[in-house]
Amino acid sequence: MEKPLDELVRLQGVGMVYQSSRDGERVEALAGIDFSVRRGEFLTVVGPSGCGKSTLLSLIAGFAAPTSGSVLFEGRPVDGPDPARGVMFQEYALFPWRTVAGNVEFGPFARGVDAATRRARAQTLIDLVGLKGFERRYPHELSGGMRQRCALARMLANEPTLWLMDEPLAAVDLQTRIILQDELLRLWGDARAGAQRPTVMFVTHGIDEAVLLADRILVLGRRPGRIKEVLEVDLPRPRAALRGSAEVARLTAHLWELIRDEAAQAIAEETQ
Amino acid sequence: MTGGMTRPLSRRARVLLPLSVLLVVLASWEAAVQATRTQGLVPHPGGVLWSGAQLTANGVIFQAMSGSLARVLIGFLFGACVGIPLGLAVGAFGTLDRALRPVLDALRSIAPIAWIPMAILWLGVRGNAALFVVAYGAVFPFIVNSSQAVRQVDRRLLSAARALGAGRWVMLRSVLLPSALPMIFTGARIALAFAWASIIAAELAVGIKVAGHGRSVAGIGQLMVETLYVKRDVDALVFYMLVVGLVSFAIDAGLRRVQERLLPWKSH
Amino acid sequence: MSRAGARFGAVALPLSGVAAVVVVWEVASRLAANATLVPPPLTVWRAFAAMQGSDLPADIGASLLHLAIGYGLGVGAGLALALVAASSRALEAIVDPFVEFLRPISPIAWIPLAILLFGVGRAVPVFLIFYASMFPIFVATLDGIRRVDARLIHAARSLGASRRLVVTRVVLPAALPSVIAGARLSLGVAWMSLVAGEIVGGDAGIGWRILWYQEFFQMDRVMAAILIVGVLGLGADLLLRALQHLARRWNPAAAESAA
Ligand SMILES: Nc1ncnc2c1ncn2[C@@H]1O[C@H](COP(=O)(O)OP(=O)(O)OP(=O)(O)O)[C@@H](O)[C@H]1O
Ligand SMILES: [Mg+2]
Repeated sequence: MEKPLDELVRLQGVGMVYQSSRDGERVEALAGIDFSVRRGEFLTVVGPSGCGKSTLLSLIAGFAAPTSGSVLFEGRPVDGPDPARGVMFQEYALFPWRTVAGNVEFGPFARGVDAATRRARAQTLIDLVGLKGFERRYPHELSGGMRQRCALARMLANEPTLWLMDEPLAAVDLQTRIILQDELLRLWGDARAGAQRPTVMFVTHGIDEAVLLADRILVLGRRPGRIKEVLEVDLPRPRAALRGSAEVARLTAHLWELIRDEAAQAIAEETQ
Repeated sequence: MTGGMTRPLSRRARVLLPLSVLLVVLASWEAAVQATRTQGLVPHPGGVLWSGAQLTANGVIFQAMSGSLARVLIGFLFGACVGIPLGLAVGAFGTLDRALRPVLDALRSIAPIAWIPMAILWLGVRGNAALFVVAYGAVFPFIVNSSQAVRQVDRRLLSAARALGAGRWVMLRSVLLPSALPMIFTGARIALAFAWASIIAAELAVGIKVAGHGRSVAGIGQLMVETLYVKRDVDALVFYMLVVGLVSFAIDAGLRRVQERLLPWKSH
Repeated sequence: MSRAGARFGAVALPLSGVAAVVVVWEVASRLAANATLVPPPLTVWRAFAAMQGSDLPADIGASLLHLAIGYGLGVGAGLALALVAASSRALEAIVDPFVEFLRPISPIAWIPLAILLFGVGRAVPVFLIFYASMFPIFVATLDGIRRVDARLIHAARSLGASRRLVVTRVVLPAALPSVIAGARLSLGVAWMSLVAGEIVGGDAGIGWRILWYQEFFQMDRVMAAILIVGVLGLGADLLLRALQHLARRWNPAAAESAA
C-alpha cells in the first residue's frame, strides 16, 4: 500500500453520533470509517442523501469532533479549523456584508497579512477565477456561478494544502457547472504532475462529475454512513477532453450500479 | 457562540440552574431586608407572599381585576371593529394608504395615555375615560397588521386561483382570508397586550386624579394608586405588579394556543 | 403621467389626508359648540404658537433628556445582557427565565412602585424608559445572534479567524439588522413609557405638561401638547427607520420584508 508520507488525512475508526438537545434523539451519521486521503489526489465522495458526506467533511475541517475514532491531518490530530484546510460550502456561505474583494481578502486579513499584500493577492485570485470588474459587488448582486467563483477565490487566498468542497457546484445550472468544472481542474493543476497539486476532497451528487474529476471515488453507504467502495479512476489527464467519452460513460454506469438501490431506498424513507 | 462551539445544556441543568439562582437571589434579598429592618419601606419576598395571601383571601383582587378586564375586552372589541376594516382598506388601496399613512403614523405615536385629560373631559372619570384610552391603544395594532396582511397576500396564489376558475367569492373565502387571517390574529394578540398595558396606565392616571375622594375601587390601576397613596403598602404593590404580569402572560399564552388551534397553517 | 403622478402621490396625497383630519376636527368642534370640549384646530394652532415662547422648549428638552438617559441605559443593558447570554449556554439558562418572567410585567405596572421608591420626579420616567427599552433589544439581539448562519462562522474559522474576530466581523454584522430592529421596538415602548411616567409620576417634560395645562383647564394647550407627543414620537421612529435602511444595504431579503 501507499507510504505513510503519501497520506495527508487519516481517518481511524471514525464514528459520529448526533444527539438532539431537545428530545435527545440520536442519529448515527458515520460509523467505522477507516480511510486515508493521499497527498495531491483529487478524491470525490458520493453517496445517497443523508449518508454523512457533509459530516465527514466537517470532521476533517475541524468544525466538529468525532464521537469515536480519530482524524489526523499531516500526522497530527485535528482540533479545530485551520487555514491549511480550506472549505467551500454548498450554499456559498459568502459574507453578505462584504464585497467580492472583501470576501476574498478575509482569509489573509484574519491571519494578519498586511493590507497591500492581501489586496494584491485578492486581485490576482479574482482575475484568476474570472471575476475581474466585479470586485466592488456584494454577493447578492452576483449570479450563482459568480458567487461560487468568489467562494473558490476566497478559499484559495489562504493557499490551503487541502481543499474541502461540499457540493460546490450543486446550486448552479448545467452549463455553468461544466465551465466551472473545467476551471476548477485548471486551477487545481490538471495538466501538472501529481506531487505539486493541492489535495481535493470533493462531495457531489453528480455521478458523472464524480467520475470526470476524480483520481479516486469514495462511495459511502447509509444508516449509518460506512465506506461501501473505493474506485480508482485510471483515466489520463487533462480530463476536460474526456467529457462524454466512452470510458467516462462506462465508469459512470458502474458507479450508478453501486449506489442505485440505496438512493432509491433513501427516497422511499424520506417520503414515508 | 453559535455553530457547535458550545455544547447544549441538559434538560435538568436548564431547569435547575435558573431555579437555584432565583432561590439564592430571593433568600439573600429577604435576609438583607430583615437585617436592615426596612420592612414596609422596601418590598421583600416574605411580605409579598403574605400580602398576596390576604388580598386573595378577601377577594379584593378579583373584584378589581374583573372591572379592568371587562374594560379591556370592550376596548379591544372596539379596536377590532374600527381597526380591521380600516386596515384592510388601507392595505388594499394604495391611494388611501398614502393619504392616511402620515396621519395614522402620527396618531399611533401619541401614547394612548396622553389622551387622558381629553378622555376625562369627554367621558368622565367613572371608567369610561379609561375605556377610551384602551380602545385607542388597541386600534393601531389592528390597523398595522390588517393592512400588512392584505399586502403580503401572494399574488401568485390569486393568479393560480383565478386560473383554476375561482370566482370572487371563492377567491375571498379560500385565498384572501386564509392568507390574511394569521397576521390579523397576530395583530389581535399585540392589541390585547397593548390594551392591558393601557388600562393600567389609564386607571393609574384617573386614580391619581381622584385619589382620596373616590371610594369605589373600579380597577386594578385605581387599587394600586390607593395602595400607594392611602395604604402605602409596598408588598401589596409588588403583588399587584406580579398579578398584572401574570395576566399578560396568560392572555398571550392563551391567544397563542387559540391561534395554533384555529389557524394551524401558519403561526406567526 | 408617471413622474407627475408620482410627485402628486408623494406630496398631495399625504397632505389631503392631513387636510381631511383637520376638516373632520373642525366639524366636530362646531358640532360640540364648545371651544373647551373640542378646541378647534385654529385655536390649538394659536396655543401652540403661544407655547413656543414659554415653556415648550424646556419641556421638550426635559423629555428628550429623560429619553436619552433611560433609553441609552436600557439599550446598553439589553445589548450587554444579550451578549452575555449568547456567550454561554449556562449564562443564557440563567438570564433567559428572568427576562421571560419580567417581560410580561409592563413598565406601566412599575409606576406606583417607582413613585414609592424614588418619589414623584424625574427618576420615575427615566426608570420606566430604562426598564421598557431593555427587553425588546435583548430579545431581538439574542435572537439575531442565535440565527447567525453557522456556515458563516465555520467559513471564518477555517479561513483563520480568531474567536474575537468571529464575534466582531461575523456575528455582530450578521446580527446587526436584528439589533437595529430591536432598538426601534425599544424606542416605541420607551416613548409610551416616557409619556405615562411623566403624566403619572413625573414633574417635568411634555407629558407632565399635559396634566399641568389640564389643571388650568387650558384644553387648547392640552391638545397642542398631545399632538407634539405624536410628532416627536414619529420623528424618533423615522430616525431609526432610516438607520435600519442603511444597515440593510447588503441584505436584500431583509430589506424586502421591511417594506
Ligand atoms: N447538526 C446535526 N444534528 C443532528 N443530526 C444531524 C446534524 N447534521 C447532520 N445530521 C444527520 O446526520 C446524517 C448525515 O448528515 P449529512 O449532512 O452529513 O449527510 P449528507 O450525506 O451530507 O447529506 P446530503 O447529501 O443531503 O447533503 C443525516 O441523517 C442528518 O440528518
Ligand atoms: Mg451534505
